[in-house]
Amino acid sequence: MFEKTLQDIVKGIRASKRDTSLYISQCIAEIKAEINSSDMYIKANALQKLTFLHMMGYSMTWASFATIEVMSSPRFAQKRIGYLAASQGFTQGTDVILLTTNLLKKELRGAAVGSSMTGIYEAGLAINCTSNIVTEELAQDLLPELTNLMTHPQPYLRKKSILCLYKLFIKYPQGLRLTFAKLQQCLSDPNPAVVSCAVNVITELSDTNPRNYLHLAPAFFDLLTNSSNNWMLIKVVKLLGSLVTEEPRLARKLLEPLAGIVRSTPAKSLLFESAHAITRCLPYCRKSDGSMPPNVSDITALCAKTFQDFVEEKDQNLKYLGLVGFGSLVKSFPRVLSTSNYRPLILTCLSDEDVTIRSRALDLLPSMASRKNLVGLVVQLLQHINFASGTYKLELVAKVVEMCSGEKYALLQDFKWYLDILFQLGHMRGLDDHAELLRSQVCDVALRVLPVRSYAVKRSMETLLEGNNENYSSKDETENILDADNGRGKHIMPEILRALAWIVGEYSDLLPEAIEGPCHSVLQAITAPTNSTKLPTSTQSVYLQASLKIFAATCANSQVTDPELEACVHTISCNLGVYMESTDVEVRERAVTLNGVLVAL
Amino acid sequence: MIKGIIIVNNHGKPRLVKFYQSVDSEQQQQSVIRKMFTQVTTRPDSFCNYLEGVVPEWGENVKLIYRHYATLFFIFAVDAQESDLGILDLIQVFVEALDKCFENVCELDLIFHSDRVHYVLDEIVMGGMVLETNISIILQSIKDQGKMAVDSLNKTDDAKTQNRKIRDQLGDSAFATTFSDGGGYNF
Repeated sequence: MFEKTLQDIVKGIRASKRDTSLYISQCIAEIKAEINSSDMYIKANALQKLTFLHMMGYSMTWASFATIEVMSSPRFAQKRIGYLAASQGFTQGTDVILLTTNLLKKELRGAAVGSSMTGIYEAGLAINCTSNIVTEELAQDLLPELTNLMTHPQPYLRKKSILCLYKLFIKYPQGLRLTFAKLQQCLSDPNPAVVSCAVNVITELSDTNPRNYLHLAPAFFDLLTNSSNNWMLIKVVKLLGSLVTEEPRLARKLLEPLAGIVRSTPAKSLLFESAHAITRCLPYCRKSDGSMPPNVSDITALCAKTFQDFVEEKDQNLKYLGLVGFGSLVKSFPRVLSTSNYRPLILTCLSDEDVTIRSRALDLLPSMASRKNLVGLVVQLLQHINFASGTYKLELVAKVVEMCSGEKYALLQDFKWYLDILFQLGHMRGLDDHAELLRSQVCDVALRVLPVRSYAVKRSMETLLEGNNENYSSKDETENILDADNGRGKHIMPEILRALAWIVGEYSDLLPEAIEGPCHSVLQAITAPTNSTKLPTSTQSVYLQASLKIFAATCANSQVTDPELEACVHTISCNLGVYMESTDVEVRERAVTLNGVLVAL
Repeated sequence: MIKGIIIVNNHGKPRLVKFYQSVDSEQQQQSVIRKMFTQVTTRPDSFCNYLEGVVPEWGENVKLIYRHYATLFFIFAVDAQESDLGILDLIQVFVEALDKCFENVCELDLIFHSDRVHYVLDEIVMGGMVLETNISIILQSIKDQGKMAVDSLNKTDDAKTQNRKIRDQLGDSAFATTFSDGGGYNF
């Protein structure tokens, strides 16, 4: 019988347009039969096909034993197939991994003894597979052989064994302590690729435990200054950057060499990584007496220029990296972005179509704001907000609020202007998720900033009164209950209305200054059922409470005439009826209380 | 560390799947592949080659770095330890290696010889870390191993026809011949 090869399966799948899964199930059934064959060719062939099908999502866990059989084939072509299947198909829970120990040990030892290329490459296969499937037991068993290979004459095996050891250390941490000295020696290996691998492993290790690798810093300094291999330099730079969190003195020493690289290297990758590493060093450069070393300002300027150049490039990747760099720089020097020449640059990035670039530019916004430029910046951002949509719009609004209210409104000088901005945002559509945020901001400002209170009351009044306009079109009736469109096309969020009503109620003593008309119109605006029944009950309950407070203030106001007072009472009592029937308990309770008070008068 | 490497075509069909940090099951693996594809395919070629926050299964700071060549997306999922621009260069090296091994490689080569693509990748990235970036050294190892594979099957004295069939596939095509020094890749 002719068994299908991998190519036959691929052709078959491409040909079977409609019944692909049927064809594949057929193939899998065939594979199941073939894989138990005693002929290694058929077995290996079956495994090869199965590995391919695994990529499409079909399970191959049932073939793990056969995988081991194929791995032990003496023929390199079949062995390869076995090892690949193991790397793809074995998981940490595969029980047959225990059976691989002896096979792998044999392969690894085979390379150490002889020097035939076959042995070398077979060991290479074994190491590769180990790095993908290693478990704790396997790590313990194979540690001696792998450690041995770290000093093998062939750099091919030295590279591979070093990288594989990292995977072993993850499963068997004890192993690291036993082999660390040898790993350190690899840093002085004559082959640059081997050194790169050693640096790579130490970088990964120091990510979790930087302190343990600090004593290697001199060796890395050496590599930094003497090596010309860009890939390795990138790794060394990254490693040193991550070590400065543990050793601040290192930060100061690193500045000059890194700046040197930034000034001289033509490779953009190395340039970026060095500048980025400098930004990681800068937070730690302050000396113990509190002063900064003299070269810091130059170097900061150098970094800023580098990132600026990146952002100005047409290449989107460089632009993205420039923004990432700035993001890191402002963590230690927040004011660096607030000078005016960066503003147009970053705002252009905000309107970029690419969402990756936009979100990075967004993160930079809070650092761009200063006392002087806040107003101009926010005005420009409002334009962006108008054009934006979806989650991006929400993020922009959140950033604006963050900038203005950060550190107890440190940057804000004109609160009236801020209130106007908040009202403007309150009228915008599509910001319902931030309604609570805006509401709390409005209340906060009115609460804390005394001079602005009357202005707040005035604006709130105007907005509430607008809601009184009776020009309802029929389509409003079918609108969503949360969309409190007051008929004049001016949308406002119900949570904001809650804030406004609260403000008016709480500071109702300021009302007479705020409005010119009779208080009666205010009460009408708040209590009229036509306006309010569409609003959520939380808003309604605040309205009721506010109307009581306003009424109280009106009574206390000696300028108000008696007929007006009576009119107020009449209006409220008429309108209360609806609220007393409300399903919401709070609303009903307040309505009844209010009614009680009025009746008592 | 590199968490995973996948090659998908413009319709989302995977051509190479290599996970260095595993996910729980085959279904999760397929879902991760789909996620990576849907995110990458919406981006036109003018956008930057970086995508953040797409695959939470692999951790928080995992970024997707990808390149689009004709009908294929080469996507590397990496964490913060890897250099962004360096990985872009690495993808280029990978593609160049494929080009030299398959002689003006195209998607069909990857479809019919997916195992060979794995062998090429294994010489560049191992266990999620970069093994070698020098193209000549990479190509030399691949060539040597290709020859070894062919030789290992020639040793047989089996006369069965199916054996000859397998030998034919592995024997006469690209690996055993010398590499032409053609510039560029012709996807």
